Amino acid sequence: MKLLVIAEQRQGKWNNTSFETLVAAQQIAAATSGTVSAAVVGKSVAALAEELATKDVAEVLLVEHDLLESYTPDGYCTGLKQVIEAATPDLVLFPHTYQVRDFAPALAAMLGKGMVGDCVGFRNEGGKLVFVRQMFQGKTVADVTFMGAAPWFASFQSGAFRADLLTAHRSGKAPVNAAKVELKAADIRTKPLEMFKEAKSAVDLTQAPVIVAIGRGIKARENIVQAEALAKAMGGEIAATRPICDEGWLPLERQIGSSGQTVAPKLYLALGISGAIQHVVGMKGSRTIVAVNKDQHAPIFEIADYGIVADIFEVMPALTAELQKTKG
Amino acid sequence: MTIQREQLEADVLIVGAGPAGLGCALHLANLITKHNASGAKPELSPENIYVLEKGREMGAHQLSGAILDPRGLRELVPDFEKTAPLDTPVTNDGVYFLSKSRAWKLPITPPPLANHGNYIVSLNKIVKWLGGLVEKEGVNLFTKFAGKKLIYEGHGVAGVLTEDKGVDKNGKPKENFTPGYELRAKVTVLSEGTHGSLTKEMVNRLKLDGLNPQVFGIGVKELWEARPGRIEPGFVAHTMGWPLGSDMYGGGWVYGMRDNRVSLGSVVALEYANPEFDPHEAFQKFKTHPFVRRILEGGTLVRYGAKTLPYGGWYSMPRSYVDGALIIGDSASMLNAQRLKGIHTAIKSGMLAAETILEALKAGDTSAKTLKLYKEKIDQSYIKEELWKVRNFHQAFHGGLWKGMVHAALQYISGGRGLVDPMRSEAGYKDYAKRNGNGALVDQSTRFKGDGKLTFDRLTDVFHSGTRHEEDQPSHLKVRDLDICSSRCVEEYGNPCQYFCPAAVYEMVKEGDGSKLKINAANCVHCKTCDIADPYQIIDWTVPEGGGGPSYDGM
Repeated sequence: MKLLVIAEQRQGKWNNTSFETLVAAQQIAAATSGTVSAAVVGKSVAALAEELATKDVAEVLLVEHDLLESYTPDGYCTGLKQVIEAATPDLVLFPHTYQVRDFAPALAAMLGKGMVGDCVGFRNEGGKLVFVRQMFQGKTVADVTFMGAAPWFASFQSGAFRADLLTAHRSGKAPVNAAKVELKAADIRTKPLEMFKEAKSAVDLTQAPVIVAIGRGIKARENIVQAEALAKAMGGEIAATRPICDEGWLPLERQIGSSGQTVAPKLYLALGISGAIQHVVGMKGSRTIVAVNKDQHAPIFEIADYGIVADIFEVMPALTAELQKTKG
Repeated sequence: MTIQREQLEADVLIVGAGPAGLGCALHLANLITKHNASGAKPELSPENIYVLEKGREMGAHQLSGAILDPRGLRELVPDFEKTAPLDTPVTNDGVYFLSKSRAWKLPITPPPLANHGNYIVSLNKIVKWLGGLVEKEGVNLFTKFAGKKLIYEGHGVAGVLTEDKGVDKNGKPKENFTPGYELRAKVTVLSEGTHGSLTKEMVNRLKLDGLNPQVFGIGVKELWEARPGRIEPGFVAHTMGWPLGSDMYGGGWVYGMRDNRVSLGSVVALEYANPEFDPHEAFQKFKTHPFVRRILEGGTLVRYGAKTLPYGGWYSMPRSYVDGALIIGDSASMLNAQRLKGIHTAIKSGMLAAETILEALKAGDTSAKTLKLYKEKIDQSYIKEELWKVRNFHQAFHGGLWKGMVHAALQYISGGRGLVDPMRSEAGYKDYAKRNGNGALVDQSTRFKGDGKLTFDRLTDVFHSGTRHEEDQPSHLKVRDLDICSSRCVEEYGNPCQYFCPAAVYEMVKEGDGSKLKINAANCVHCKTCDIADPYQIIDWTVPEGGGGPSYDGM
């Protein structure tokens, strides 16, 4: 059986699941007395191909093209279709990455073949290769096999095989051969833009020494700026009860309570929070709790160290102004 | 967006792992084992039975009193007394009439409420145990997966789509999006319990309604740990009267369990006139009655829950078989409203369904023609014997408690016939009295708060139900026309959803000069009251992402 592993790189860096898939390929090859080739796709990735060649593979295919510099589903499908048609593997394996999920099923469909995605193992049952994949969130596993003629397509889940079991090439190095692909700019319908990293949500409420939390007493979205100003003056983070986040007035990651974060800051200022148990379980460990509420019977006062029975719209600006004064 | 769904095929797909669904699964697995051992063809396998359960774990959504008439369980698991988690046998049994401050024990316990030979149990524990037995037989149990949609084919049903997982508030797929499975089965068994969402849709779509519409009660329950010596294990009290008026149908219960645990609750028929009636508050008041208070005082609340129950009985049964599908248990109106018991009939209906399914699989014909056998089996079983005798029972109380007592007595001596047979009924939401424009926005802070020791507000109770839902998902409570809520309903009924929901899901909030409905779906304890009691019938209770909902440990 001829196996071909499509290794994944981005901007010259490997996706390490590729090596796990290579291990899977080596084990399948061992079980079926087959051979493993690997392909690397991109532009100026010869160094990566050389690295792959030091592993126990029969051949490394270097699939280079200007139009493959950035990933596009059209570029990868059109290019790899040509590679597969030329190399005639029986089984094409992918690491089950986001990118593979995006293009591999389309590639298989272009060749009129099926694909078994997200496998966690395989078995050789008397020459018939059976793939194992999880279903129902891992509550059960299904055995899947291919019908019809090769090539077959499958991808392996991250962590299904151990990359450290990858064996090195026996005689030092496998040959690296360039695979010719023809691509036209017109084939590619998507236009990759600059790569960017999603701005990480900076807030980690569990690390904040001071938290200013708002509840239904804030009444309207436009009033939140007042609480935010106070939080800033106190050098703290703003947080809220479930109803506020449920309305979308603050993001979910700022929700404190049983269905949100559990926090224990040095100072917790609860503004217009009644003190429902769902909220209290998320903040009762705070060192000092200060509560402001119009309703003197609000349960929040039972756990507060300091309580102010007052309208938060009087307290917030007054406190903010006073704090700014002392800071000068 | 077209979604590619994984397809799986089973012989039998059971939706809902309660006493009915598990009774069906276990009995069928046993029958299949026997069938295979006899060498008969075709060979069948319990592995081709799938059970879906929306709860986080087995039993998570089971809520009942519960007093178990062991008849059904004994047939299913003959040696159940050795291994089942039966809490305690009933030893002391009484019916009490409550006034505001006093309690009178009826001199004789009416025979239908006599409970000697029965057990006080936690249905949660019984179902967990049953689930273990079912799994041992090789049946595939899938918790955290809900039946979202039926697959209709021809005149019947070909299976179920499970719910999509990983969809955000706005219906967009998240990073962890997993499309639901397309589960195809030769027979789909609906055992969703009270007012199942798939059952409701199928009964409407295929016009399977019984003679009467289904009518429901809502049960609100708490589990307490009392101070030692306050109540004997095996003590059973059913109450009538306060805090309910004689124009309302319902009552309370207090059961003594092992380890000083107390199961207590109250049930009210969802067919009352006052749209501001709050079943949760009525239950809280019930606890302040000296009869209850002296048991609970100094104890602690362990758990809370609420669930509806189908009262309609025989005349409210939908047609329970179609091509490729059966309805069993509470979904099929198997509960005996007079005896307040439905676990044994649920199990029995599941077993009869199992026997029918085995015949159908053997014959290779799962059309209504073969599945009709289920109905014939019901008719010949003690389910009919029991339910036929009380076929007019609940309807009799529609004119109030006292008239109902007279009717019920006449029915009792005439084998269920009484003065009118069949007595018809109407859906309960039609009983609300209109408010004629008195609806005003209720200040939530004036609602019942409780003292935090004996009585609690709804949010505190919801906390004790262990309810959890993924927050970032579309609301599973679908209101078809929100304008009705902020216009007509305000005027006509004053938004009863704010009152009948025992989990504070529905809330009217100010918007401009008027108000709008806010749905706190994450609080939902899956009782189905909203879908039943909404006066305009515009609320559809659908399944949330699997695993969401209450966690009724020990309930």
